[in-house]
Amino acid sequence: MLQTFSYVAPDSRKDLLAILNKEGTRAKILAGGTDLMVDIRGGKIAPAFVVDIKKIADLKGVSYSATEGLSIGAVTTCIELVTDKTIVAKFPIIADAASRLGSTQLRNRATIAGNICTASPCADLSCAMLALGASVEIASMTGTRIVKLADFFTGVKTTVIKADELVTRLIVAPELVNAKFGMEKLKRIKGHDLSLASVAVVKTGTLLRVALGSCAPTPIVLPDFPANAPLASILEVAGKTIKPIDDVRASKEYRKMMIMTFIEQIILRL
Amino acid sequence: MKITLTINGREYTRDIAENRTLLRFIREDLGLTGTKEGCGAGECGACTVIVNGKTMNSCLMLAAECSGAVIETIEGESESGELSKMQQAFHKHHAVQCGFCTPGMIMSVKALVKKNPKPTVHQIQEAIEGNFCRCTGYTQIIEAVQAGTDQRDEQEELRRV
Ligand SMILES: Cc1cc2nc3c(=O)[nH]c(=O)nc-3n(C[C@H](O)[C@H](O)[C@H](O)COP(=O)(O)OP(=O)(O)OC[C@H]3O[C@@H](n4cnc5c(N)ncnc54)[C@H](O)[C@@H]3O)c2cc1C
Ligand code: FES
Ligand code: FES
Repeated sequence: MLQTFSYVAPDSRKDLLAILNKEGTRAKILAGGTDLMVDIRGGKIAPAFVVDIKKIADLKGVSYSATEGLSIGAVTTCIELVTDKTIVAKFPIIADAASRLGSTQLRNRATIAGNICTASPCADLSCAMLALGASVEIASMTGTRIVKLADFFTGVKTTVIKADELVTRLIVAPELVNAKFGMEKLKRIKGHDLSLASVAVVKTGTLLRVALGSCAPTPIVLPDFPANAPLASILEVAGKTIKPIDDVRASKEYRKMMIMTFIEQIILRL
Repeated sequence: MKITLTINGREYTRDIAENRTLLRFIREDLGLTGTKEGCGAGECGACTVIVNGKTMNSCLMLAAECSGAVIETIEGESESGELSKMQQAFHKHHAVQCGFCTPGMIMSVKALVKKNPKPTVHQIQEAIEGNFCRCTGYTQIIEAVQAGTDQRDEQEELRRV
């Protein structure tokens, strides 16, 4: 049996923000539930209110404009990211990352905002979105703010989000449309598994950006490199930046070696 | 709270506890015990059901979220009293041993075949990635799916044994 809580499913953003404002930390947002339900069941959290945001129409959908770039609604699921025509054509790294998350059942439920809000060091979508230099739009009763994803994570499973706030969408600037990319994710098994080490790289005519997962308390992004940066200099910066840990799934030496190997493989390929 | 939803073509209206998972609702409130609970945490796929055409882990969902949903479970496979073609293929190809994973496995395969009537081995593997089988082994399961989608030469198989 799960602990008791009230389920609410507001159908407008305004109603949702009012609930968050009133209940604060007593309320927890439910998107795909693939992290939240595990935490509730495990007793890690005990919300009085579980607030389903999937009934709010304007949190859905993907769109692109030449001025703002790509906008992805908070409750867009992995399977929608894998199949969305705009994403596949213009930002295929996002579809690639989404296709690597969990199993079919999880991809049918897990949302992009849930992935970044969980702030797990191994989150697949977070890593790709960091490489794209994405921004996060955050709303509360008092207004809207935009935060760079690179400044969004504050520690293991913590973010800048306050209890009365909601992530409404993710935005990727148009400069990176059709950028070349490479991604690698190390897992223990071929089937569905969390990453032990992951690397996402995007490259345009002028810029090369590297994001890394499972090698620091949060997913991280290295400072931008020029497109023609030598491999050795990228590896040097990566080596100095990462802080992998030993845990039940892999040793820090193994994680580090695989991060370096993946960076090398991807850079040589791009 | 009150919810109304359709399961295997039948409409149900029930008063539910708001913390009820969809899995517990299906098994304990409706008595449809074909759907299983393995891990209860999204790992094993024993609880897989099809919700509005998509496979999902019912252990990670609330029944409260599913008002208005159209859901398919293993019980819907043999409503006529006869096993479905895929169930027969699982039976014939020894894809079932203890059977605990089978209801979820069949749901994943059903959703795959609906989109893709002739899946490749790789596509079958990908579709059942989230369904763990601890006894039969995946080889027979994949063979059964091939047979269930008319992609195996039965004569050739007989010659092999
Ligand atoms: C078996 C299993 C395997 C997994 N494998 C992977 C994997 O391979 N890769 C990977 O990256 N992840 C994996 N995950 C983790 C999980 O599926 C992802 O993190 C997923 O993207 C979470 O999204 P969700 O919509 O299900 O989030 P939820 O569980 O609904 O929410 C997660 C958290 O974010 C908060 N939240 C959700 N939406 C918002 C919002 N719009 N604004 C503010 N807060 C919000 C919730 O309150 C909650 O704290 C796995 C999980 C399981 C159970
Ligand atoms: S019981 Fe739901 S995935 Fe294991
Ligand atoms: S038949 Fe026993 S778990 Fe698959």
